[in-house]
Amino acid sequence: MPRGPPASPGQSRPKSGKPCHSDPAEEDRGWRARHYPAMLRRLTRAATPRQRVFWARRSGSLAGVPTYVVDLRSDTVTKPGPAMRRAMAEAVVGDDDYGEDPTVRELQATAAELLGVERTLFVPTNTMANLISVMCHCRRRGSQLLLGHECHLHVYEQGGVAQIAGVHSHPLPDLPHGTLDLAELERLVTRGLGSPYHPVCELICLENTHSSSGGRVLPMEYLRQVHLLAQRYGVRVHLDGARLMNAAVALGVPPACIVEHCDSVSLCFSKGLGAPVGALVGGPKDFIEEAWRLRKALGGGMRQAGVLAAAALVGLADAEEMLQRDHQNAQRFARGLQELASPVCSVDPTAVETNMVMVRVDGLPPEELCRRLQAVSADEVAQTGRVVRVLLFPWAERSVRAVWHRGVSAQDTELALGKWAFVLRTLRTG
Amino acid sequence: MLRRLTRAATPRQRVFWARRSGSLAGVPTYVVDLRSDTVTKPGPAMRRAMAEAVVGDDDYGEDPTVRELQATAAELLGVERTLFVPTNTMANLISVMCHCRRRGSQLLLGHECHLHVYEQGGVAQIAGVHSHPLPDLPHGTLDLAELERLVTRGLGSPYHPVCELICLENTHSSSGGRVLPMEYLRQVHLLARRYGVRVHLDGARLMNAAVALGVPPACIVEHCDSVSLCFSKGLGAPVGALVGGPKDFIEEAWRLRKALGGGMRQAGVLAAAALVGLADAEEMLQRDHQNAQRFARGHGAGTGKVGVRAEDPADGVTDPVPWLGWTEVTRADPACCCVWDGGPSVPGQVGHPPQPGGHESISGTSRRKDERTRKGTPASGGLVGGWGFTLQSSDLLNNKFTF
Repeated sequence: MPRGPPASPGQSRPKSGKPCHSDPAEEDRGWRARHYPAMLRRLTRAATPRQRVFWARRSGSLAGVPTYVVDLRSDTVTKPGPAMRRAMAEAVVGDDDYGEDPTVRELQATAAELLGVERTLFVPTNTMANLISVMCHCRRRGSQLLLGHECHLHVYEQGGVAQIAGVHSHPLPDLPHGTLDLAELERLVTRGLGSPYHPVCELICLENTHSSSGGRVLPMEYLRQVHLLAQRYGVRVHLDGARLMNAAVALGVPPACIVEHCDSVSLCFSKGLGAPVGALVGGPKDFIEEAWRLRKALGGGMRQAGVLAAAALVGLADAEEMLQRDHQNAQRFARGLQELASPVCSVDPTAVETNMVMVRVDGLPPEELCRRLQAVSADEVAQTGRVVRVLLFPWAERSVRAVWHRGVSAQDTELALGKWAFVLRTLRTG
Repeated sequence: MLRRLTRAATPRQRVFWARRSGSLAGVPTYVVDLRSDTVTKPGPAMRRAMAEAVVGDDDYGEDPTVRELQATAAELLGVERTLFVPTNTMANLISVMCHCRRRGSQLLLGHECHLHVYEQGGVAQIAGVHSHPLPDLPHGTLDLAELERLVTRGLGSPYHPVCELICLENTHSSSGGRVLPMEYLRQVHLLARRYGVRVHLDGARLMNAAVALGVPPACIVEHCDSVSLCFSKGLGAPVGALVGGPKDFIEEAWRLRKALGGGMRQAGVLAAAALVGLADAEEMLQRDHQNAQRFARGHGAGTGKVGVRAEDPADGVTDPVPWLGWTEVTRADPACCCVWDGGPSVPGQVGHPPQPGGHESISGTSRRKDERTRKGTPASGGLVGGWGFTLQSSDLLNNKFTF
């Protein structure tokens, strides 16, 4: 999530009342831009679990009350477990800049086979993996990139493709399923074809799973169609596969089946796969050779990176089981929330395809809902016998996003539902 | 060539070859890796610290180990804030981008400095900053008069790029790990301030400089507006570096780190190793310096330039000749053979890649040469400054390895 410049003084609440003829999507974006930064910082400070638990225990009325924290802000918060820590501690390492780290080499080879690509390259973050891919595909001056206007690369990567790579973006509207309109895509690809007056469309970027639409899985047929279109006009396709494994598990297919419709792919290890740090780029051999130079130039050429690759290997090994569990927990939560039948919070369980649940919030600001979900009170103890703090980020003017990961168990999911029910009851009666 | 030599030098393979060879079967074999101090691997204490590190999402500012490292380093370097990044290349790039924000910014630096030669021209291709390199003087410094001339050349003129930044490197790698004199640093800083220019210190090996001078690193950094520090070289950590500077500088640096793709999550696993490296830095680096000096002194008895042989298993055993560690070597063949006594890996400096024909200088961590080794025959090998070498272990039986 971005940490942007401070919000303007006095702007702590979204304005009430809407202008006439407003575009809801536009409103959402404007609202986020105005309120996100300060709000995220406040919520993040409030959410630091250890301090809050300490406070809860010190408080006279809550002394001795079981306290739980369920962190649903993002799957980036996953911490390495004992197996991962042991693997990291025992990793055989070498200088990866000289190509001498055997654990990095093992990870890269394993991932290449898993993704069905010729080569892969280990990098510190998926942001760098995406940036390197864009830089590799878009080498000429005046290159143009087509992508969704809510995709992570466009919104949350500091405009790196422009400020660092000098690549011109043209964002298309995202459809609800996380896809782009194929006819519009073709129109934009062909608009400047052969014309010296237009930028040269070099690359289409897709994101799978699509974070902004709630972790939606791009349909396989859609991927095929985009790839055919791109190939027809000499354009490449890069897949932002930060959560690619979630998509593969949801579809029940090997990741290579998804990646075969793309010319390059990025994959993140530090999200649902649970590793502390790391991502990778995958593609053809000459692509990865150029990517190596760019990784060096960007400052991603780490040395004994095997300590990180070891954790990534552990994450890959149990990915299917862990992600399947995350998806089931997310679905269980969505169904449970729907059963509460609250006018304030509504959810569509059929839209929950992976580990994310988008909850529509009516009647109060999403920020206020998040505050209540992580607050503690004597009332909660009296009604439920415990304290549960659910950590969430508001997503848009009328929604919050909840993300499941290996740090959230089925029991935690039930606790979160219980807290949600308590908050909704309080809102009804209060 | 470097890749071939590097592959050949992979210790395990060479040992295997040595053991298989009939004449070397059962012979104790040693590898002394003097290519660079980047090859350092984390020891038990570091690995334990990494395994036990308390972590959080550093992108949200919630990793306590990263926060501890950044605070510790800020105090050590005498700066307001620091920012943990994956590599010193990124630390330098971020610093240049933070200092040079306008179009047409110009950067003055030494023409052999790491930032100019070994960082893929990132300041240009990524940051759009125009470099003007000056000749490096033998001590790793720049000529102050020339520096002032270049700073003032375009001052106030719309026809020239705007000189925004001077980059210094301490210790200076290409001149053999030289320490920039304190008075020089003061003079550069005064000059820069006079004309509204900033000074960034590429302090990849800053701790080596501080230990050599016997001063706190903050005494060196106080003459600069920003600094980079690498943990994965002599400090021994597997991964990591940092940028240090004023608060608003580091706030902007955070954005740039994110943009470049350096915003790691549970980076405390790496910061924990860096903290261990910092804790024993003085002792370890002092030891490295002593070993380097011992090696250099040990070769003072040589009788002249040494002839060299190709390092190739197929060539078989050759007769090395008296060898001078820190002097120029006439290269008779495309690859050179240098004779050592030694033990496990020794941190050192990478020398220049060999050029076809002519003289080359070797820089490396020096070791005391054993008399017997002079007459010895090659055995297991490694690399110094991009050249291959071999060592006969039977000649080393009575050597005291200083590690």
